Amino acid sequence: MRPNDRSYLKSHEWCKIDGDVATIGISDYAVSHLSDLVFLDLPNKGTNVTAGESFGEIESVKAVSDIYSPVSGDVLEVNKDLPDNLEWLSEDPFGKAWMLKVRVSGKSADLMSGTAYDAHCAAEG
Amino acid sequence: MARDEALLLGDSPAALRLYNWAPHAVSLGYFQRLQDFDDVPPGTSIVRRLTGGGAIHHGEEVTFALALDADLLPASVDASYGLLHDAIVRAVASIGVLCTRLEHGPPPGARPKDRWCFAVPGRHDIVDRNGRKLCGSAQRRLRTSRGPRVLHHGSLVIERPSLTPFVAAIVDMAPIPSLPELRRRLAAELAAALSMNLEPSTLRSTEAEVAETLRRTRYEDQAFTATR
Repeated sequence: MRPNDRSYLKSHEWCKIDGDVATIGISDYAVSHLSDLVFLDLPNKGTNVTAGESFGEIESVKAVSDIYSPVSGDVLEVNKDLPDNLEWLSEDPFGKAWMLKVRVSGKSADLMSGTAYDAHCAAEG
Repeated sequence: MARDEALLLGDSPAALRLYNWAPHAVSLGYFQRLQDFDDVPPGTSIVRRLTGGGAIHHGEEVTFALALDADLLPASVDASYGLLHDAIVRAVASIGVLCTRLEHGPPPGARPKDRWCFAVPGRHDIVDRNGRKLCGSAQRRLRTSRGPRVLHHGSLVIERPSLTPFVAAIVDMAPIPSLPELRRRLAAELAAALSMNLEPSTLRSTEAEVAETLRRTRYEDQAFTATR
């Protein structure tokens, strides 16, 4: 059971909204299916992200994958320590491994609850 | 590279492209730094791939790009490699080359020590009886209007390239029937693994247009090659 205090995308990103600020990361399911992460590229503070569009890229030993934003808005903060500590994504994907904090100007229409996301992951296998 | 990306962005559920390199060239993994390849002889073409992993010196080899809907592959990256690499092992075995897929073992170490894709075999890599890597591979995963898509690149070595002489090579292990025949067997095994039928085709006009744009604006653009 994944945290129900946040929303999820089918592409396995999560966002937790507090006021007008969204904290964004990727789920344990994404991490486990990528395995052996080696590189993470995140945008700079002050850049703009768009709901449903790629904001970063993550490389495992065998694949590069895009990371999609659940919300639109300006990037307020970036977890700069994360690229050098990729093990955090396995240890604490919903906490210490957050990626961005964004001032929300819009949300993806495809956000789903933790319960719905659990069902989506179960269906993907 | 541009054509491979055009297939990834295109609307075919699955497309397999087989090709070779003229002239021989080096491809960098998407995140690799160009400055780590200062020792590549002048005049050698260098291109940045969309897929990850280490650099490859593409000499005499069978190269393929498989672009397809992600749900045609197992969900995990690991399992997708198992499926596709077992198909490659079968194709190569059919011409008398003994090789195996490593089911266990550590993943390759962090860059830049392992800047060459073929330097250190890891889990799922295809190796010869001496443990040398015979096939390099890497994936890109993204979402398009079709949904989640995967581009899988593979390089099957025929003759050892000069910059990476430590690789395994098919010519050392068996007579090659002919390159077209090896390509045919590879395509047949990959299609069988995906439970799909092969239909010979060329790029669709929209794919060719996208490829031409990507060639000009990305893969031939030194700024993209030197991005990192």
